[in-house]
Amino acid sequence: MTDTHKWQRPVELSTDTLEPETEASQPASARDIPLEKAQTIPDQAEPDEVTTPSRQPRSKRLWFTLTGLVALAAGAELVRLLAWGFDLHPLVGSALGVVVLGLISLLGLEIRRGLKGSRQLANVRQLQAEGAALMDAPTHGHSRRWVKQLEAQYQHTPLANSLQTAISQLDSSYNDREILHYLNRHALDATDRKAQQCVQRYSIESGVLVAFSPWASFDMLLVAWRNLRMLREVATIYGLAPGLLTQWRLLKQVLQNLAFAGASEMAMDAGSALLGSSLTAGLSARAGQGLGAGLFTARTGLTAIKMCRPLPDNRQPSSQLSKIAKGIVQRLTIKQ
Amino acid sequence: MSISKRLQTLMERSGIRELPAHLKSGVERGLEQRIKLAVTGLSRSGKTVFISALARHLLQSDQDRSLPFFTPVAEGRITATRNLSHQAPAPFPLTETLAGLQASPPHWPDSTDALSEVRLALRYRRTSGLTRVLGEESTLYLDLIDYPGEWLLDLPMLSMSFKQWCQQQQPLFEQAPRAQLAREWRDRQQQIDWLVPASDTEFSHLCAEYRTLLQQLRKPPYSLSLLQPGRLLMPGDLANSPLLNLCPIITALPQATETADPDSLYARLERAYTAYCDQVIRPFYQDHFRHFDRQIVLVDCLKTLNHGEACFNDMQLALNSLLHSFEYGRSSLLRRLFKPKIGKVLFAATKADHVTANQHHNLDCFLQLMIDDARREMRFEQVDTRCLALSSLRSTTAAEAKLDGQHLSCLRGLRKDNGEEIALFPGEVPVALPRPQDWNSDRFRFVDFAPRPLPAGPLHPEHHIRLDQAAEYLLGDLLR
Repeated sequence: MTDTHKWQRPVELSTDTLEPETEASQPASARDIPLEKAQTIPDQAEPDEVTTPSRQPRSKRLWFTLTGLVALAAGAELVRLLAWGFDLHPLVGSALGVVVLGLISLLGLEIRRGLKGSRQLANVRQLQAEGAALMDAPTHGHSRRWVKQLEAQYQHTPLANSLQTAISQLDSSYNDREILHYLNRHALDATDRKAQQCVQRYSIESGVLVAFSPWASFDMLLVAWRNLRMLREVATIYGLAPGLLTQWRLLKQVLQNLAFAGASEMAMDAGSALLGSSLTAGLSARAGQGLGAGLFTARTGLTAIKMCRPLPDNRQPSSQLSKIAKGIVQRLTIKQ
Repeated sequence: MSISKRLQTLMERSGIRELPAHLKSGVERGLEQRIKLAVTGLSRSGKTVFISALARHLLQSDQDRSLPFFTPVAEGRITATRNLSHQAPAPFPLTETLAGLQASPPHWPDSTDALSEVRLALRYRRTSGLTRVLGEESTLYLDLIDYPGEWLLDLPMLSMSFKQWCQQQQPLFEQAPRAQLAREWRDRQQQIDWLVPASDTEFSHLCAEYRTLLQQLRKPPYSLSLLQPGRLLMPGDLANSPLLNLCPIITALPQATETADPDSLYARLERAYTAYCDQVIRPFYQDHFRHFDRQIVLVDCLKTLNHGEACFNDMQLALNSLLHSFEYGRSSLLRRLFKPKIGKVLFAATKADHVTANQHHNLDCFLQLMIDDARREMRFEQVDTRCLALSSLRSTTAAEAKLDGQHLSCLRGLRKDNGEEIALFPGEVPVALPRPQDWNSDRFRFVDFAPRPLPAGPLHPEHHIRLDQAAEYLLGDLLR
């Protein structure tokens, strides 16, 4: 036997030297193993860090300066307002002070929530990218870090319970791909169902509202309002801190995603939802508009789910879309 | 005899009585509601344990506990499963096998010595889809057949004449380790004049020696697989039958075989071969091995790694030649009714619990090396294939040891031979064929483990490795 091989010799150990597998992180005191000679264990390489494109520092600095200037101006105005109030009467001044303090704390809270939410959103994107790579990996042990990140991300969210249960059920023999598929199926199932119900509800609502609203321009406002509300709710369901900033980020991502979705995909969606069946037969022009608006809301919602989920959903989105379309048509035809 | 009695015997003979049953099963087959799953594997590859474990898990599948990757179970669509094995002509001893695994100390089932059958009926809810119009609930009948793996190797003999069989055996007996072991027997054969009349004792003596030889080759340290005819090793109900007096001629075949005396050894052997094919193999094949829809091929890769190159080559040859005996291809609706073909094949490396979890992928790759030829041909017939490392019944637990400051994952379990608890890192499974000098070194030490006791109550995912994925691959698309 030559020493050129990289394989490792079999080792028989005495059972006392074993550590329980789950406590791998706990340092164990080194003990003598009488049986065998020295071993070299090739380190399992950690997966390459997935680099997320960082924002250009220049535009960031610009943003900072702008916000700083605006905040400075607003602060100066507020100070002037307060001074004017105290000049008028101390009572008016203190009342104004209370109002301003309330407003500022509200704003601070919102900003904090928004920052938290957008950080979470960025984390989710990173999880998605790493998860997608692991999803096809037959390797073993590389997903441990990913699972830890996932756990940390959802620690104080409604998902924590189901996630904990699923992680504790993971078997030691699963490889990375199986771990991810298992979590995808068993940890996120209830949440997915909830989010889909939410999307369905909002789509039907906006469909019906548009179908029965008297003014065309009012329709657009309605749809926008319902969509924003829906985004907020979907984000909350997936454990993201709701806030204007989160909502804005999510909306941007969703719109980007929708805009760059392949034309073929769009056509397929539209085909399956509108033309594939006799669904639309017997719908009036207004009801057709309603259906269109509802479908748009549904597509936005499903994309938002895709953005908020830490793992890609491997079920077909078109089937969900057609299900929602059926729901809208049902509602419209009943009402008419 | 009265007329009615005669009529009855006539009906029984003509099979009219079974006609409704046949029709029913035919229609169910056509609608993919009755599936025959071929559990294929050489002897000691884990067929019996696979069948009993699968049956046990499926029988409790309504509880959604033990098969998380089997979609219908994970979605909670299986309402209940019923064991219909008693309807089969030779029911599989499921209770006895499971009792052996639940006993303390538990033991692996004995070698199978006869054919038996498990029939399961799975009642399931359909997913919403086109098939939903056929009713919300439906039943899938699943037939699994257990048999001695030795018999399987007889199937390739059906397509060969005695002469061809001898010509196939000759090169085998020229290679190690057969050549060394069979030297005496070959010398004896060289002195025989095959064409002159010979006595009965001479004939039976020759065959008895061959049988002893085969038994030696099967045992470790040789552990060969391609040992024909299989009934000589596992006679089943044919023990001491004259049909088993059979052996190949491994020296040069006599020239003018037409002039052979009817009592000569050559003529006797040829007759015995034909009789064996017609009376033993063909009924076995026609009754049980023709109409399969899906197939799982169980392979014990670790045995070959333990025993070296000769064992590997022999098993590869055995597997690739026996897989030719099955019919592969896509089945249309009509074909499914009358002459189904195997449309989906899963190659499974069993005993995945005997290597550490990080070696499972390597085991997959090693299995692919072994069945490469057969797999390519199946793909040509547009048959879906997949390789998977699985363990129907897990006998070890994963553990970790610290050795020289580094963590080493290892296995913990009870040795099969003495029941002693050991912790073992059994070595790495190679992903490429080891070079000749790598074999038989101390590179691998795959120990046979005794089973852990199976609970009488509900099973959990930790009682198997990837049995659920195997079920998903083989049956998942039928339970929609």
